[in-house]
Amino acid sequence: MSGNNEDIKNAFSEIKKNAEKNFNESRNSDIPAIYIGMATCGRAAGAEEAERAILETLDERNVKADVIHVGCIGHCYAEPVVIVDNPGFPPIFYYNVTAGKSKLIVKAFLERGDPLYEHLLGAMEENELIPSVMGFPRFGMEKRIVMEKCGHIDPEDINEYIKKGGYASLAFALSKTQADIIDEIRISGLRGRGGAGFPAWKKMEAVYGSDSKEKYIICNADEGDPGAYMDRTIIESNPHQLLEGMMVAAFAAGASKGIIYVRHEYPLAVKIIKKAIDDSNRMKLLGENILNSGFSFHIDIFEGSGAFVCGEETALIESVEGKRGMPRTRPPYPVERGLKNKPTVINNVKTLSTIPAIVNKGGKWFSGIGTKSSPGTAIFSIVGNVVHAGLVEIPMGVTIRTLIYDICGGIPGGKAFKALQIGGPSGGCLPESALDTPIDFDSLTEAGAMMGSGGMVVMDEDSCMVDVAKYFLEFTKNESCGKCTFCRIGTGHLLTILERITNGEGREGDVELLERLAGDIKRGSLCGLGKTAPNPVLTTIRYFRHEYEAHIHSKRCPSLKCRPLTAFYIDLGKCARGCDACVGSCPVDCIFTTKGRKKGIDQEVCVKCGECVTACPEEYNAVIKVSPPHLVPHIEKLEESK
Amino acid sequence: MDDNLELIEKEMLDDISSFLEHVEPERSSLIPVLQKIQAKYSYLSSDAIKLIGKRLDLTSSEVYGVATFYNQFRFNPPGKHRIKVCMGTACHVKGGDIILENFERKLNIKTGETTRDREFSIDKVACIGCCALAPAVVVDEKIHGYVAPSKVEGIMLGFEIEKEMNERKERSSTENSDGEIIERQ
Amino acid sequence: MAVIFVDNVEIDAEEGRTLLEVCLEKGIAIPNLCFIKHNDSPSASCRLCFVEIEGIEEPVTSCTVKVKDGMVVTTDSAEVRELQKTAFRLILSTHRIDCGNCPSRKRCELIKISRILKVKLSPEIYDPIERKVKAEEHPHLIYDISKCINCGKCVYICKKLHGRSYITFARRGIETGISFFGEKDAESIPCGKCRACADICPVSALLFYEHYSDLLKKQ
Repeated sequence: MSGNNEDIKNAFSEIKKNAEKNFNESRNSDIPAIYIGMATCGRAAGAEEAERAILETLDERNVKADVIHVGCIGHCYAEPVVIVDNPGFPPIFYYNVTAGKSKLIVKAFLERGDPLYEHLLGAMEENELIPSVMGFPRFGMEKRIVMEKCGHIDPEDINEYIKKGGYASLAFALSKTQADIIDEIRISGLRGRGGAGFPAWKKMEAVYGSDSKEKYIICNADEGDPGAYMDRTIIESNPHQLLEGMMVAAFAAGASKGIIYVRHEYPLAVKIIKKAIDDSNRMKLLGENILNSGFSFHIDIFEGSGAFVCGEETALIESVEGKRGMPRTRPPYPVERGLKNKPTVINNVKTLSTIPAIVNKGGKWFSGIGTKSSPGTAIFSIVGNVVHAGLVEIPMGVTIRTLIYDICGGIPGGKAFKALQIGGPSGGCLPESALDTPIDFDSLTEAGAMMGSGGMVVMDEDSCMVDVAKYFLEFTKNESCGKCTFCRIGTGHLLTILERITNGEGREGDVELLERLAGDIKRGSLCGLGKTAPNPVLTTIRYFRHEYEAHIHSKRCPSLKCRPLTAFYIDLGKCARGCDACVGSCPVDCIFTTKGRKKGIDQEVCVKCGECVTACPEEYNAVIKVSPPHLVPHIEKLEESK
Repeated sequence: MDDNLELIEKEMLDDISSFLEHVEPERSSLIPVLQKIQAKYSYLSSDAIKLIGKRLDLTSSEVYGVATFYNQFRFNPPGKHRIKVCMGTACHVKGGDIILENFERKLNIKTGETTRDREFSIDKVACIGCCALAPAVVVDEKIHGYVAPSKVEGIMLGFEIEKEMNERKERSSTENSDGEIIERQ
Repeated sequence: MAVIFVDNVEIDAEEGRTLLEVCLEKGIAIPNLCFIKHNDSPSASCRLCFVEIEGIEEPVTSCTVKVKDGMVVTTDSAEVRELQKTAFRLILSTHRIDCGNCPSRKRCELIKISRILKVKLSPEIYDPIERKVKAEEHPHLIYDISKCINCGKCVYICKKLHGRSYITFARRGIETGISFFGEKDAESIPCGKCRACADICPVSALLFYEHYSDLLKKQ
């Protein structure tokens, strides 16, 4: 179906020439450029305040500089992030840029040429003046393919994307045959990044091979796993790469219509991807007869309405069709009967965003990265009790230990590592003994967890594993679509049992009951959500059975987390007596003072929020938490103290 | 007051009717239509559901059955200020439930409820993807990170101050119109 | 024609037909609640009709399997029974057991299943779950969610007879149940003349007012 290759080449170089011209006109390379990370998390951390301060200071001091919004670079611990490209200096990365720091950057760096060594993380390229960030493992040990441009380009500027090599893979693909492209992806070994790791080329080939005239491609950006936000970040930081990958995949599969299914909880991502589609349409990179190749393709946005189960592909299709998002029985699979019963390719954001690089650099190049069975890179959002939280892109096969300790700086506050939750509600909790597990689809599944969408939550010694299991079961119970018996009712019972355990009402035999019911739900459920819902329970029992037993047999929470099983008291030996920091901090006024300024906590009223622990000055640390609660020494609350 | 509410309701339904005229009458329009109406009026009234059903040739039950499936839709008007507490994993690990409790205590309502004066409502929301800033809360579209019980106090105090300022403004403008001298506190 | 073996008995069956349907016709007892004859797209939601098929590792629901020549099926292996018993107890944990007053007691599917599985009509190890859902008004019908087993037969029959759904599933998760949207206008719905949903309900969770008042009289 490909048109004349010369035509395609010419059409693309025309577009590229224009894009370069427009981009060069929009930027002035003689003045400094200030790049501010303006993705959702940057904004939440105060990027808008930083921008305001920068603009005000520039104006006030009459300094000229371009202020440019970029997406997220993935270094969430450093948000708000500002990169300053001041002529005569390498581009410099500043972290935790408050309004005050913003002013300083303008006054000291832009006006006086003082790069403020104490506030910078490093230079973005090698140079002789300022140490490069690449010496910092959080940068140097990453391997960025999908996120290469994230945080470096303006996501709303299609010209910049094209100038920096964007849409080249589309032009290249259109000059090849569909079989060529599918073959290249087969050689690359790319596996679906949505969780299960199904080979990407197989779906394309199945749809390509179908006789149907109407075919669809859907990008699944219904990122519902709590703790995972890489899809959002990719869309907010580099939407065109996703569109480009989707177009190539659509061409290969023979689809003429695409839908991007984004959660409505991501308003900024929706706005940015919509603009990107409009811009591509305007540039004629989308629409009829793209680059004179004869290939036509249109993309629409569908906003998900908030149902975790819609991340399951058949439920997602139901939802697009205007129905309740309940999974269908498979087979038939979507590649045979998908949207409107037509053959449909469904891929995750990361999978599609990887395709341009594969087409540009070749499947062989890609298959050389990572491991043999899981080639390429993996993107994780690594959060929780970890020093350098954020998004990391690493080659598959790196061990969990390297990721947590070497790349992400380990556990803060000198605490001990307890578990890594990976794969969200469908995944599991891995203990310290699993730290040397290499990160790839198969090794993680073997360890009882799964790659899932790539959410990782690091938990230190203060996290209770029964509580974590309970959290995930509450999630899946609420998000169960309600169709099949095991998931609809079974998850509720798992939760009830976990609740009674964490409330100190666990019964003998509850662990065995959990195991049995969890096993039945796993085998008996209709869809993937139900089949994986018991994983958090099963893995925590597998690796942390002793914690369950402590809760049940001695009504004790070893991590001092489960509130009904813990209590606070004030150690009078440590308390300064003269200070009332704890009293003032208590939101329910339950700390009282008796004769001789002895302090006590009214256990009946205390809500165990822990504010008094934070409030008590470090030199005393007099607020003590214990489990079980009866270990609290009794302090008489005298009448006059009321 | 009730007349006023009826009037608002009527205006809303007229507006929804004219909006629906431009909607493709097919089932795949259903969720986008529900979203647009929810976005504009913050809830789906039962009359609105009937109108949607008529336009898309669905029974009201079918529309309602779909709408109740998704978290996004409400069937009662929410409070003026919406407090949404993130229930993501990272937020949970860092004490999101304690934050939720603090809001509940402060406003004396439970999750999913609206205060009697219709000023505030509290909801739990699925992960908003700001995990590195946990625990996180969305108050009227603004995301607050690293929320502690003391910050809850701060957020609520902000509203109290704003309310007081507005009341003062109102008072001073009415007093001004009466030609009285404003007493400064 | 295909020949299949179910519990070591040879059966002739048309290739491509649903395995569950074929077995039921031949009088082989397989527990089921959501299965509807001649429905091409089974909901497969009750998770009771598990069987084991030689060559497939895990038990599968027989309502989603098409008959193939030479198939070897076991309907009562320990694995199958374990899943069926758990599913059955889970369903019972949301079903208010009140057989004495139940109009369905003579044709009750749940009682039949308890006999097939040789278990008590009780959730046993699972605490009962009360589903808290606001009751809806209807000019003719009364819906009791505490008895509903979410089989979906009423929703299916309503759509089949009227071309559109006057009763649907509403809400999600454990709160999922039947809804008629509280339609008060008797003119806008065909329920005055139709009794199909209440007739098909295997557990009397849906009743018409006249049946309901009969029931009250008897008590």
